[in-house]
Amino acid sequence: MADKTASLTDAVKSHIRDGDTVFIAGFGHAVPFALGHEILRQNIKDLTLCRAGTDILFDLMIAAGAVKKVIFGYLGNPGIGLGHAFRRAVKEGKIEYEDWTNFAMILRLHAARLGVPFLPSRILQLGDMPKALPDLKFMDCPYTGEKLACIPALKPDVAIVHAQAADRNGNIQFYGIDGDTVEGALASDKIIVSVEQLLEPEQIAQAPERTRIPAHRVSAVCEVPFGAHPSYVEGYYGRDDEHFYAYDKAGRDAETLQTYLKEWVFDCPTRDQYLETIGAKKLSALKAQSSGRMP
Amino acid sequence: MSSLPATAGLALAGALELNDAEVCFVGIGNPSDAALLAKHTHAPDMTLIYESGVIGSDPKTPPLSTGSPSVSNGALMITDGLTVFAELQAGRIDVGLLSAAQVDITGNLNSTVIGEYASPKLRMVGSGGAHDIACCAKRLVILMPHDARRFVERVDFSTSPGTSNERANLKLGLGPTALITERAKFTFSTGSAQLAAVMPGYTEDQALEDIPWTIEKASDFQVVETFDTQAVRTAETRLAYLFS
Repeated sequence: MADKTASLTDAVKSHIRDGDTVFIAGFGHAVPFALGHEILRQNIKDLTLCRAGTDILFDLMIAAGAVKKVIFGYLGNPGIGLGHAFRRAVKEGKIEYEDWTNFAMILRLHAARLGVPFLPSRILQLGDMPKALPDLKFMDCPYTGEKLACIPALKPDVAIVHAQAADRNGNIQFYGIDGDTVEGALASDKIIVSVEQLLEPEQIAQAPERTRIPAHRVSAVCEVPFGAHPSYVEGYYGRDDEHFYAYDKAGRDAETLQTYLKEWVFDCPTRDQYLETIGAKKLSALKAQSSGRMP
Repeated sequence: MSSLPATAGLALAGALELNDAEVCFVGIGNPSDAALLAKHTHAPDMTLIYESGVIGSDPKTPPLSTGSPSVSNGALMITDGLTVFAELQAGRIDVGLLSAAQVDITGNLNSTVIGEYASPKLRMVGSGGAHDIACCAKRLVILMPHDARRFVERVDFSTSPGTSNERANLKLGLGPTALITERAKFTFSTGSAQLAAVMPGYTEDQALEDIPWTIEKASDFQVVETFDTQAVRTAETRLAYLFS
């Protein structure tokens, strides 16, 4: 099989273009921050970002000016509060957005994964959400006559994913909280993955049930330890909750958020520099905090 | 006034709405606290489900998000979002637990915008799974801190729909059956909130203070004199953060 390994720089440069619709994996767990940061450093623009429940990576990419449109179920800083860059962009009319629900987003991605134009559902028929989605269509079930919403497929151009391990061919092993991670990856035309660890194909093949994304669907795989920080990776390191609070504080002011971007994204062109910015003490604390759980 | 912190009172009052062996789809924050408290008091066989795809969760520390490590550590099953939302839409979830920025008298919840949708005063986080839970759980329990700004005549945006005559026709759940604050319980048997109970340490006036609704009293109105001592003790130990 072809060797899909690449540097972060090359993986992003080769596979993500201005104007792409990008699925960002990670429902709080294994959010692909390193790949997202690299997209920002390469100054890729006019992106449409999508997923169900977003993490602060969405808000950060909005703050950096890389995003034209967001399609989401939830957009904020989970458990802490609002996405401040998103809040400001909406107020200033600088961003397009589609408000779906988490289930609706999963159905949209699932429809694309199945290769069908829509999936019928009982949600989005009451309240104000249907009014905020002017293109949403409804139907009477041809079998039962029941009223249903037609949740349209959403097929991203490319998915960025972070996972525990892979081999050089791109067989991706992922466990822990999934949310819509595998769903969105397999719905997308291309899949770019960073992993904590590259392993030999023989090692990966010892537990094929742990492989959630098969090599033939993967365009590039990069080894990036702590590539999901400040989120966490099951079995490797815990969630840096303090960082999420710090992001909330920085995000309240547009200028302070630019300082955050400089410190954590633009001044860290290499992974070593990023790890140095986190600091050795914090890195070992986060490792110690992990469940250490393996499947 | 109650001697309990509001956060603890809300969890204790909310837990009373949950029965043993029920399957609960829970949101983060107050809903999660109430469900956990019920599980560790009178409802040990309750199954907690989080939208991130975790079934049988029992967080040891309060999770910041539905995707946080404490949601999955020690859980009975980690699956994906499609699986748990499928259970929800198929009508297999007994009760949904939600909170929001605003609630109105028919139990509509708003977590999307303050002001007009197209040009909001404040853009908030959106539905997440809240709309889905409000539509599809067999019944919905709303947990709101008693904060006058949260109780409005009509929500600015109905993210998660309240009571509606359309629900049966659309084969959705009942919608809100209880709205709990640390001071009161409201029920919705007429479609609009009625005062059904006053919580320990509060008077009827305090229960309705600054709530801008014309409230009737439910026919089964009661005064809850005191919370179960064992439940309070469990809250103090298992959910100590509610008291800080």
